[in-house]
Amino acid sequence: MSWGQFAWVAGLCAVTIFASRVAPLFLLKGRSLPPRLAAALDAIPPAAFAALVANDLFDVGAFRAADWRAFIPWIAAAPVAVVALRTRSLLWCIVTGVGCYGALLLA
Amino acid sequence: MRTRDSAVKQAFPAALPVMAGYVVLGIPCGILGTQAGMSAAQIALMSLLLYSGAGQYLIASMWLAASPMASIVLSVSLVNSRQTLYAAAMARFCRRTGRRLSTLFAATLTDESFGVNLARFTSGEPWSVREATLVNLFAQGAWVLANVAGAALGAVLPVPTALASFAMTSIFICLLCIQRFDRPARAAALSAAAGVCLCKLLGWTGPAILAGALLGIVASLLTRGGEVS
Repeated sequence: MSWGQFAWVAGLCAVTIFASRVAPLFLLKGRSLPPRLAAALDAIPPAAFAALVANDLFDVGAFRAADWRAFIPWIAAAPVAVVALRTRSLLWCIVTGVGCYGALLLA
Repeated sequence: MRTRDSAVKQAFPAALPVMAGYVVLGIPCGILGTQAGMSAAQIALMSLLLYSGAGQYLIASMWLAASPMASIVLSVSLVNSRQTLYAAAMARFCRRTGRRLSTLFAATLTDESFGVNLARFTSGEPWSVREATLVNLFAQGAWVLANVAGAALGAVLPVPTALASFAMTSIFICLLCIQRFDRPARAAALSAAAGVCLCKLLGWTGPAILAGALLGIVASLLTRGGEVS
């Protein structure tokens, strides 16, 4: 990644992330969000994370190749989901996920 | 009036579990960054400026997948827009705090430090924006160092890209599983996942995440129907 490309990607992302984190503090000043906007914001986490998980697991090329290895991410995802529901801990989810995925790669 | 020392003494133990988590989270993030062709300086700068696990993983993996820059920026912004909720929830604790400190506090809020600080603010024990900001900064320090360590490690250790990026998948699975799944949230998650799969089947790999997530948000608003106006 060249510094020019880095400046665009990191710079723009830094601006939008900063705005997301700081803007409500000054725009709201203790008032509550308009209900329609609050409903849309509420929907972002489940929609965004489901999209990201689906994007990582659903690999069209690997399925067409019909190799059992195409299912490694699916197999490793199951214990991660169980650990997530039980512990709600990012730390344990990474340990479980990387451990299972690594073991399956070696199998 | 408490001194700076006692604020540090209160904030550091509160920040420790988050810091430990960020070390485990940050090392594969740094490794993935080097695999996406970023230098250690770029990785360090990104950890300082963005300070977003999901965002930084997403940039690295979308860059590896040769996604267009606009698509990367939009996806990262969308994923991080959930953090407006955190600042909105914290606004009531910042009413008597100066503008500069409140800004620093809000700018360094993450999923994890939000959780820790909200628990302290609502516990009834003395806890101010000053301690809360220190928790955020300790956690960010651990994040930056872990990313740089990952960048150094990635340069010498041949870690499979798929393995480093499954650390990210695990994070997303965790963040998905801990959502409160009422009807609108279920509609959002299912429609978003279906939208992504459909896009990928059609060969639209680049905009799949963004299109899927937007579809999910629309579906969720539709299930609410007349509930909100």
